[in-house]
Amino acid sequence: MLDTLAKRLLQSIPVLIGVLVLGFLLVQLSPGDPARVFAGAMAPPEVVEQIREKMGLDRSLWTQFWGYVERVMHGDLGRSFISNKTVTSELLAAIVPTMELMIACLIWSIPLGIGMGTLAAVWRGSLVDRAVMAFSVAGVSLPIFFICLLLIQWFGVKWQLFPFIGRGGPLWTVEGLRHIALPALSLGLIFIGPVARMTRSSVLEVLRLDHVRTARSKGLNESQVILRHGLRNALIPVVTLVGLQAGYLLGGAVVTETVFSYPGIGRLSVGAILSADYPLAQGCILVLALAFIIINMIVDILYAILDPRVQKR
Amino acid sequence: MTASVPLTEALDDTAPPRQAWWKALLRDRAAALALITLLSIALAALLAPLIAPHDPYEGTRSVMQPPVWAERGDWTYLLGTDGQGRDILSRLLYGTRLTLLIGILSVGLGATVGSLLGLLSAFYKRIDPYVMRFADVMLSFPAILLGLALVAIFGPGALPVIIALSIATVPDSARIARSIAIGVMEQEYIEAGRAIGLSDRTLFSRYLLRNSISAIMIFVSLRFGQIILIGAALSFLGLGARPPAAELGMMASQGRDFMLFAPHIAFIPSIAIFVIVLAANITGDAIRDVLDPRLRS
Amino acid sequence: MTAVNKFLTATAVIALAGPLAAQEITIVREVDSNNYDPHKTTARAAAEALFMLGDTLVSLEPDMQTVTDGLAKGWEVSEDGLVYTFHLKDGVQFCNGREMTAQDVVYSMKRWIDPETNSPVSWRAGDVEDIVALDDKTVEYRLQHPFSELLYQLTQSFATVIDKDTVEELGEDFGISGFVGTGPFCWESWSPRDKMVLTRHENYAWGPAFYENKGPAHLEKITWQIVPEENTRTVAIVTGQSEATQYVPPIALNQLRNTPNISVQQSDSAFWTYFMGFKVNKETVSDEVVRQAINLAVNQEALAEDLLFGEVEPAYSYVSQAALDWNEALDDKLLRYDPEAAKSMLDEAGWVPGPDGVRAKDGVELRPTAYVFAGSSWQKLSEFVQAELLKVGIGMEIQAFDATVAWGKLATQEFDIFGMSYPYVSSGDALNLYFPSQNMPTPNRMNWDDPETDELLQAGKTALSDQDRAAAYGKVLEKVHAAAVWLPLYHEPMFIAQTDKLEPIKPHNNYGAGFYKGLDLKYKE
Repeated sequence: MLDTLAKRLLQSIPVLIGVLVLGFLLVQLSPGDPARVFAGAMAPPEVVEQIREKMGLDRSLWTQFWGYVERVMHGDLGRSFISNKTVTSELLAAIVPTMELMIACLIWSIPLGIGMGTLAAVWRGSLVDRAVMAFSVAGVSLPIFFICLLLIQWFGVKWQLFPFIGRGGPLWTVEGLRHIALPALSLGLIFIGPVARMTRSSVLEVLRLDHVRTARSKGLNESQVILRHGLRNALIPVVTLVGLQAGYLLGGAVVTETVFSYPGIGRLSVGAILSADYPLAQGCILVLALAFIIINMIVDILYAILDPRVQKR
Repeated sequence: MTASVPLTEALDDTAPPRQAWWKALLRDRAAALALITLLSIALAALLAPLIAPHDPYEGTRSVMQPPVWAERGDWTYLLGTDGQGRDILSRLLYGTRLTLLIGILSVGLGATVGSLLGLLSAFYKRIDPYVMRFADVMLSFPAILLGLALVAIFGPGALPVIIALSIATVPDSARIARSIAIGVMEQEYIEAGRAIGLSDRTLFSRYLLRNSISAIMIFVSLRFGQIILIGAALSFLGLGARPPAAELGMMASQGRDFMLFAPHIAFIPSIAIFVIVLAANITGDAIRDVLDPRLRS
Repeated sequence: MTAVNKFLTATAVIALAGPLAAQEITIVREVDSNNYDPHKTTARAAAEALFMLGDTLVSLEPDMQTVTDGLAKGWEVSEDGLVYTFHLKDGVQFCNGREMTAQDVVYSMKRWIDPETNSPVSWRAGDVEDIVALDDKTVEYRLQHPFSELLYQLTQSFATVIDKDTVEELGEDFGISGFVGTGPFCWESWSPRDKMVLTRHENYAWGPAFYENKGPAHLEKITWQIVPEENTRTVAIVTGQSEATQYVPPIALNQLRNTPNISVQQSDSAFWTYFMGFKVNKETVSDEVVRQAINLAVNQEALAEDLLFGEVEPAYSYVSQAALDWNEALDDKLLRYDPEAAKSMLDEAGWVPGPDGVRAKDGVELRPTAYVFAGSSWQKLSEFVQAELLKVGIGMEIQAFDATVAWGKLATQEFDIFGMSYPYVSSGDALNLYFPSQNMPTPNRMNWDDPETDELLQAGKTALSDQDRAAAYGKVLEKVHAAAVWLPLYHEPMFIAQTDKLEPIKPHNNYGAGFYKGLDLKYKE
């Protein structure tokens, strides 16, 4: 257990360095003069020079990189060019809404996906199976923004069931729930497909295994077999899937947040990039990459807990 | 960022059969239909300058015309016009061209580089750990993140998106190519070839590459739809293709301004993306089933 | 469209507002400001909130002409126009409960013009000799030269009186993490590019005379929500997720007017003009004939009609013809659409069409480059102009830049033409911004370097009588129109779309901030 954790931590060091280099490059390679952008178009040259000095833009790349790493370690990511707020505070304010969105999306799509996948596996080849498979192929083929627009058009405008602008409040409040409904629905819809598909194939695999056959021959009825042996073992790959699909979900969240004006990390990144707010863009990318690493680490650990064989490998 | 089956796992130890797999593929009716759809779309996109009824870039005074089947529709503009009075059908043809181009270039570039890396690392064992470590690090950057980062650096445009999506395709294809190639390398004919003094180059291109290519094809066909989706999403967000060029995701995004009055402006390109990706995914699944019957469910 | 109408009629029963929170409204708008420090931003988005968060010494009536009381109940101007004495109202408090005195006014004005503050708008305060508090309730504003615009400038959000302690306590974060003023609303929170929340200033009682309600405000809370997409803002009004907004796209206005329970208020004295300017010393557009031909080639009427659904007024003048000090003698001389005249002018001047239809003269092709802002409105506008110009043989090339990058790009000498829109209170305000030579390269992006203009502008600024001022500015208007330094496109009226649950809102136009102080925002009883 600890071994896995230590190994995983060690493995993520080069990744972390990669992330830092990426963030640093972002500020370095961006077009235009960061000092000039920071100072504004009207600022006299002396002011620009002062800012250049403050930002360390006149020193060597290497020095600048170390300065950058040092600042990141202290949680100092600079200030947004646009809002002049500290990047850290902007990021902190955006992380909670995004986490809420992820939770609200996974909480209904994973159980539903697992349910659909199991049914498809049990009634393999039946109409149910085909319907589930068709649904999941369609689900992974739909552009997420199309789903968002459709949901807004029908649930938001036509039937006026849910609001579709911004965040109503924390997840446990009524307004919070009402506002998160459509974004969570959109994001979930693209996630059910992969979950159902993965569950189906792993349940099928498990049902073929010896001990399941034995259980069956011992006279346990079908639903008991599936629940006790099939599904539990089949969950392991599903856990991995969540890790593998974190990037997929993340991409979906970026679009969803933007379309629903939902104040999360995804919308923040797009806004920062479009307005050439380099410090903020760099901060967003750092946080997103970090989140991705952490999710994968958690998934690895969960995997190790669920499937003791992994540790020995 | 693959959304379908666990590919790496599936391909681990399979030497793909070499047969007339086209025939088998076309025997699957859904797959045949999907493949034909995909090819016709590609052909139409390729011929866009010849078959587009109007100039896709020039606006007219008839804005927001509905499609021909709707009330007030008109045969001049089969799919209607957008908010600037541009013919949607013509823009759709040109847009599909750019969308497909982004997808093909990204997957093509990424898979080529990745597969070469994977094959080489199977062939020359000493570079293997480095390549694989590199692939691991790269895998930690999902396509969307790379896309955001590159666009942040170079500014919005089709090129940074293509580069990002290619890079994101490299590690997966490297791992798959490697695992296939390791299987191939264990085959006797490689040993035999070595024994009779064939050069590395001949061995590599004549045996290794040729025997691994169909597995790589499976990967490419399964990945293609996903890449199209990410590319379109980035353009939708304003980070990809730039106006006045037509691109399906961007067209959908521009149509958002008219959702209340003329939803077809956003919906038509969205549906086009859906059809392309759906056809690509079905074809991809079928190709996998045919080339690798063990996976058939 | 009939289907849309039916739908709007059917669904205008507000279902989405959720549990109706008593006295709160949400106003949706397109963009956020970079900060809310009155001295450090020129964004309209900042003015919108600052007018509510704070007060100015004097305020402007909705007619955009009459200056009336603000924090000052009255004022006197010395004969020589150099000394303004303001008498402050009694009992004015900041949101933190502290009483406002003449010292606070002096502090705020001095911070505005302090070189340390580096305010991009310090010139709006005039050439200040000194600003002093004669006693707790009297402020003396002394100028080096007379400044006929001063009172108008003092109605702008840049002249908002702020709380010194808060400024010092927050330092760089002033106007970012907090703000304290004397306005009818107080700062509650701001998350950039998402929303800003203001709450009622309970003790407020010193609203300007033209408001029926002097305070406190009727509404307890105002949320300014950023929604970049046009369509979503429209739908937000229709579905009751937002109670009022001035950012509805022209395409939706007519539909909204016909929607039950929704009204659209309009004001035509908005003074917000869209134009393209020419760098007068760059090849091709340095030729006055070319600039005039461009003016003749573009059909502003078609632009207003087709692109903007007839909701805007086509512009031929650089400021609204209703603006203070407009030169009426120019009314008949303005360049109007006449593409044939444009062609023959260019022919005569030696610009001959090349093989692809684009003209050239002495080997120089007539292909000026235009820099514009990225985004749907300038994309449409510039592409329209591009098409019009091509018809007379001018091949304008467009480069669009995102807002932040654009301001920097527009400060360079790389382009020949630029697209811009701007608010003004009067002709003098507009001319003093764009045409003095010391304002090169920005905002005088035309490189209009003319000593006589500078003199006239100075004369207008320091004029002691209305006639002298109007005469000086009139001459400048004549000069720049004759030289065709700009291509005016349209004047945008102010529209406010609102739910009928609110009393009708009277749009204000100061700096384009339609809700101004928000004192009249009120639910019907």
